[in-house]
Amino acid sequence: MSWLPRLVARLPAGVHAKLLAAFLAIAVLLITVSIVGLQALSRANHRAEDLAKLHRKIAAYRQLQHDTTSQLYSVASALLAPDDRTLDAMLRQLNQFGYDLDRLQFVEQDEQDLFAQVRSDYEEFIKVVTHAIERIRSGARTDAGGREVIGRRAALLAAGQGRELQLTRITALADRLERLTNQLVNKAEADMVASIDDGQEAYRTSQRAGIAFALGSIALALMLGYAISWSVIGPVKRMDARLREIAAGDFSQRVVVENRDELGTLAANLNRMSDELGHLYRQLETASRHKSEFLANMSHELRTPLNAILGYTELITDNIYGEVPAKIRDVLERVQTSGRHLLRLINDVLDLAKIEAGQFTLSMEQYSVGDVAQSVVAAVEPLAAEKKVALTTAIPSDLPRGTGDERRITQVFLNLVGNAIKFTEAGEVKVQVAEVDSMFHVSVADTGPGIPEADQQRIFEEFQQADSSSTRSKGGTGLGLSIAKRIIEMHGGRLWVQSTVGKGSTFSFVLPIRASAHTEE
Amino acid sequence: MGARILVVEDHEDNRRILRDLLTSRGYEIIEAATGLDGVTMAEAHRPDLILMDIQLPGIDGYEATRRIKANPALSQIPIIAVTSYALGGDDVRAREAGCDGYVAKPFSPRQMLVKVREYLPQGRPDNAP
Repeated sequence: MSWLPRLVARLPAGVHAKLLAAFLAIAVLLITVSIVGLQALSRANHRAEDLAKLHRKIAAYRQLQHDTTSQLYSVASALLAPDDRTLDAMLRQLNQFGYDLDRLQFVEQDEQDLFAQVRSDYEEFIKVVTHAIERIRSGARTDAGGREVIGRRAALLAAGQGRELQLTRITALADRLERLTNQLVNKAEADMVASIDDGQEAYRTSQRAGIAFALGSIALALMLGYAISWSVIGPVKRMDARLREIAAGDFSQRVVVENRDELGTLAANLNRMSDELGHLYRQLETASRHKSEFLANMSHELRTPLNAILGYTELITDNIYGEVPAKIRDVLERVQTSGRHLLRLINDVLDLAKIEAGQFTLSMEQYSVGDVAQSVVAAVEPLAAEKKVALTTAIPSDLPRGTGDERRITQVFLNLVGNAIKFTEAGEVKVQVAEVDSMFHVSVADTGPGIPEADQQRIFEEFQQADSSSTRSKGGTGLGLSIAKRIIEMHGGRLWVQSTVGKGSTFSFVLPIRASAHTEE
Repeated sequence: MGARILVVEDHEDNRRILRDLLTSRGYEIIEAATGLDGVTMAEAHRPDLILMDIQLPGIDGYEATRRIKANPALSQIPIIAVTSYALGGDDVRAREAGCDGYVAKPFSPRQMLVKVREYLPQGRPDNAP
């Protein structure tokens, strides 16, 4: 059935035109059904009228048959014992009957011949009967006068002729008339039976036609609804899916919509938009990659001379080139401090640039998280002692060995513990490591100033610290946390902060014990 | 005279820092600026230790290390790779090439001195002034 919506979709007409056409088609169908129904009703009505007519006709024919029989009977009996009064009454009746016959108007075409025969036979019958009666009368009158024997004989002869007429012509005519009227009645009755049968047949036919039309209308309406709605819904769904893909950053696909209506135009525009966005996205990506590559290269180039500066400075302060006066040593130490800060900045920028450029790779190896934590604590202990900050640890000795980039994980520890000591003026910094559900749980808690809620997300962004003026005074770069978070995420872990202003901050991260490198998105 | 150390390093300043540092501690320093020179110098002077920069013009530090280690007469000489911090996985590659030690740039002269002492053969202490 899927070809149907596609066919509708391919029709080069607007959605409104298609909807209009469908509604019109259904309306035409309804009108057709109504007309067919009305016609069936009117045919049924006609048949009812015909039946009534037939009924009347049958009654009339039966009357005719009955009258004919009684006429023939009265003619027979009158001729048997003729007297003037009876004969007159009989003749009147006969003529009256002929007049009644004229009033039978509802004669069918096929009955006309039969009817005409009845009529002509009847006229013949009247003529013959009248003739017979005249003969009988003339015989009777002569007979009653009794004037002459010849007259009497003639009268007898005339009466005999009348009776003979009765025997030969009248009886035959009467039989034929009776048979014809019987035929008329039979035929009308047969017509009525046929008409009733026809009526039933017509009812069944129109019932079937009605059901067929109704089913057809329902099927057509459903089909039109299905075809039109799916020719709209299908493309809308496809475009919706495509839009979600675009929102997710996939510009490579195209949505295929066959519609040659508004939806087709919409899909074409959607594809054009996607292409345009993809083009812009690729341009941006290229620009971003160029920027990152430039930063990576530049950082590398900057580090070489800086390393030389730091190296020479260290050699001078170590008196390699002779004793250095205290005044100069003091300045040289400032040179060293600034130089190291600059080097940290460059290194952090290089790390970030590599992360952005997708060149930041982890070298996975076995490591001991306990050793890493202990070595970092040992490295920052002098700083803590100098600031009179208590540095405590809770590091179980039976921690399993993990898989990860030891150098990068050390970098994260160093950043978190270093920050904690840097920002804590008095109090303590506590480093805790635990193993829970094949994850290392690490937390570094301090009793420093804390971070306002509003800044707790921002500190993970590049060059952001809760108080930006503190960056320089604390000797940080503002990049360390951002890098630390990314390193942990690249290991498949998570890094976050909980903090209360005035009480301190706790930076925590979870790290899969068996980490596998996750590519940075 | 102290132990003899071959410094293979293309960068003038880095060479000079190592030279000033190590000679001040009594080591004898010989220098090469390219990988090929490094191999030649190693064959000619049989140093006690080689500090091998990795990013070198011509053949790189890994290749120079492989060539030196391939020579049975030189294969006992410890080689410390000096690699750029910028390149991840360098420690693994250095070990694969046959390096005995590994120092990541940037190094401070003091760190370098610690590393050098670690690798010099026992019984040949440096003669610090």
